[in-house]
Amino acid sequence: MKRRHFIQAAGATALSAPLMAPMVNTAKAQAATVRWWYHFDNPQNTPNELIAQFEKENPGIKIQAESIPWGGGGDYYNRLFAAIVAKNAPDCAMVKLSSQAQLLEMDALEPLDGHIKNWAGKADISDNIWSVNKAQDGKQYYLPLQYVVLYLYYRADWLQAAGLQPPKTYEEFLAAAKAMTKGDVSGFGMRGGGGGHDNWAPFVVGNGATFAKGGMVGEQALAGNRFYVSLARDHKVTPASAAADGFRQIVDGFKAERTGMIIHHIGSANELVAALGDKVSATPVPRPANGKGWTMFGDESNAVLSGSKNKDAAFKWISFLSGSTNNVAFNKLTGQLPVTTSGASSWTLHPKRFVDASAASLPLAGVLPDSPKTADFARTVWPTSMQRALLGQITPDEMMKTIEAHYNG
Amino acid sequence: MTTASKTGPAPPLVLTPYLFLLPAMLVTLAVVLWPVAETVWMSLHNFILFKPRNVPFIGLGNFWRLLNDEVFWLSLGHSLVWISLVVSLQFALGLVTALLLNQSFWWRSLARSLVIIPWALPSVIIGLTWTWMYDFNVGVLNDVFVRFGLIDKPVAWLAQPTSAFLSIVVALIWQGFPFFAVTILAGLQTISAELCEAADIDGATRFQRLRFITLPAIADVIATALLLRTIWVANSLDVILVMTGGGPGYSTYTLPLYAFLKAYSGMEFGYGSALAIMLTLLLLLVVFVYVRRAAKELDQ
Repeated sequence: MKRRHFIQAAGATALSAPLMAPMVNTAKAQAATVRWWYHFDNPQNTPNELIAQFEKENPGIKIQAESIPWGGGGDYYNRLFAAIVAKNAPDCAMVKLSSQAQLLEMDALEPLDGHIKNWAGKADISDNIWSVNKAQDGKQYYLPLQYVVLYLYYRADWLQAAGLQPPKTYEEFLAAAKAMTKGDVSGFGMRGGGGGHDNWAPFVVGNGATFAKGGMVGEQALAGNRFYVSLARDHKVTPASAAADGFRQIVDGFKAERTGMIIHHIGSANELVAALGDKVSATPVPRPANGKGWTMFGDESNAVLSGSKNKDAAFKWISFLSGSTNNVAFNKLTGQLPVTTSGASSWTLHPKRFVDASAASLPLAGVLPDSPKTADFARTVWPTSMQRALLGQITPDEMMKTIEAHYNG
Repeated sequence: MTTASKTGPAPPLVLTPYLFLLPAMLVTLAVVLWPVAETVWMSLHNFILFKPRNVPFIGLGNFWRLLNDEVFWLSLGHSLVWISLVVSLQFALGLVTALLLNQSFWWRSLARSLVIIPWALPSVIIGLTWTWMYDFNVGVLNDVFVRFGLIDKPVAWLAQPTSAFLSIVVALIWQGFPFFAVTILAGLQTISAELCEAADIDGATRFQRLRFITLPAIADVIATALLLRTIWVANSLDVILVMTGGGPGYSTYTLPLYAFLKAYSGMEFGYGSALAIMLTLLLLLVVFVYVRRAAKELDQ
C-alpha cells in the first residue's frame, strides 16, 4: 500500500468512526449477558427450557439465571438489597409489590413505561393487574409475571355432614369452624407464625382496618382483630399449635385431616387434592356483613434494575416470560396463575374449582401498603405481636396499637 | 563510636519471620479486623439498608436506644439462661458419654463414630429435624408419648413460651454434647493406667476415682472445652431461627438472634450492629479468660 493510500484509508476510518459507533453499540447490546434472579418454591424446577428457547430466538443475548433462596422472602430480599448496595445487582429480578417502596427508596428500579408502551403483549394483561402493579408515583416499574389470590380451603364432606354451606360471612365461618371442631380436629388451621398476616388480613382489613394513620385502631379494625384472636383464645376452634404454625404446618395439618379449613392460594391446590381428592374445595375468604371484605393479592413481577448496563436486553427477557404461551409455561413451573388473559383461558394445571375460587376472589383482592415498613411488618412485627396476643401476653387491642405504631408511630 | 563497633557486627535485620506472617496478617485484616471496624462504624450511624443515601451519624444513639429497649434486656436474660442450661447439660451428657466410650467393649469403635453424628450435621438440618419431631399434628414425639401413655393428648411444644425454649435447649444439647464427649475422651486417654490401678489397690470406689483422679487429670481439657463452647453457644442462632424464629412472641429471642432479626428483617444495620457489639463486649470477658489459658498452656 502506498503511503498516500494508507493516509486516505486511515482518514476515512477516523471520519467514519462516529458513524460506526451505533453499530458497535448495537453489536454490544446483541452480545449482552443478562443476569436474572429468580426463586421457585420447588427448587427442582428450572427455567432452562425457557432460557434455551429465548436464546434461540434472540441470538447474542445470554441469560444467566441465578436461583436465590426465598426463605420466606427475607433471604431473597436481603441478598437483593445487599447486592444493590454493593453495586453487584442482577440486571433483572423477580420482585413483589411489598418491596417496591424499598427498592424505589434505593433508586434501584428502572421505569418500564416506555418499553411497555411498545410491547406487543401489553393488551393480553388485564387493566386490573396493570393498575395493582403501578407504583405510587404513577410509573410502571414492574412487569407482571404471575399471581395468586388467597381464598378459603374447606372440607366439603365435613360441611355437608354438618348441614352447612361454605361460609360467606364471619358468623358463618365461626359456625362452620365450631361444627368441625371435634376431638383432635380443629375447625380452622390458623397460621400464627411467619406469613400469617395474609390469613389475618381478611378478618381485620376486610372488616375495615387500613394502614393509614389511625386505621388500625378504629372500632371496626379492633373488632375484626378481637374476632380473629378469639377464634383461638375463646372459641378454641384452632389447633393448640396455632401460635407457632407456619405454611407447612397448616397445609400438613389439613392434609392429615386435623383441620377443616385453611387460608391459602391455588399454589397448594394440587398437593391438597392429591391427599384429599374431592373432599377439599375452595371459596372466597369470609366477609363482613356488608359484603365488602378483603383478601391478599399475591403478586410476582419482574423488574429491571436501574444499575443494569443491559436494560434493553433485560426487558426483552422479562417480556418474553410475561408473553402468552411463555407465561403459561413459566407458571407451570411455579404453580401459580398466568397473568395473561389468553393464558388464563386455557389453564389446565389446577382443578377448575380452585381456578374459579381464585377468579371469584379477585374483586376482594388488594395488596399491603406500598411502604418501606411493610416488609418488616410481615416478617417480624405481625408474627411477634400476633403470637403474644394468642398467648395472652398482650390484648388484641394492644396488638393493633403495635401495628399502628409501626406504620404511623 | 557505635555499639556495633563495641560488640561486633550488628545482626542483620531479620525480615523473614514477618514475611511469613504477612499473608496471615493480611487475611486476618481483611476478614476479621475490617468487618469489625465496619460494624463499629455502622453502629454509630442510623444505617438502614434500603436508605443508602441517608446514613446520618448518631454517635452513641444506637447504644442509648438499646439500653432503653425492653426486648434487648429480655433477649439478654434469655441468652444467659440459654448459655447456662445448654453448656452445662451438654457438658454433663458429654462427660457421661466419654466415660462410657472409654470403657472396653467390642463395638467401641463404632460407638465412637456414631456419637459424632449430631455434631457433624448442619445446624439447619438439626433445626428442621427437631421441628418436625416436635410437630403438633404429625410429630413423632407426640405420637410416641401418647402411645406410651406419657401424655393424654398431643402437646404443642413450640407454641408455648416455656416449652418452646426448653425444646430448643434439648435440640442444642443433642447437637453439642459430642464435642464434649470427644474432647473429654481424648483427655481420658492421657491418664496413666498405673494411677487408676494404684487407686484400685488402695480400695478407691468408682466415684472416688472419678473425683480424685480422673477429673483433676482432665481439668484443663474441660476448662478449655467449656470456654470454647460457651463462646459458640452464645453466638449461635441458627437452630433457634429455624425452629421458632424467636417466637412465640419474644419467648425464644436471644441476643444474637435479636441482632440478626434487626439487621436482616428490619434492615436496621446500624442498630443491629450496636446489638452485635454489645454481645461481643460481653463475650470478650470469656474470650479473655480463654486466651489467657491458651497462652499459659503454650508457655508450659
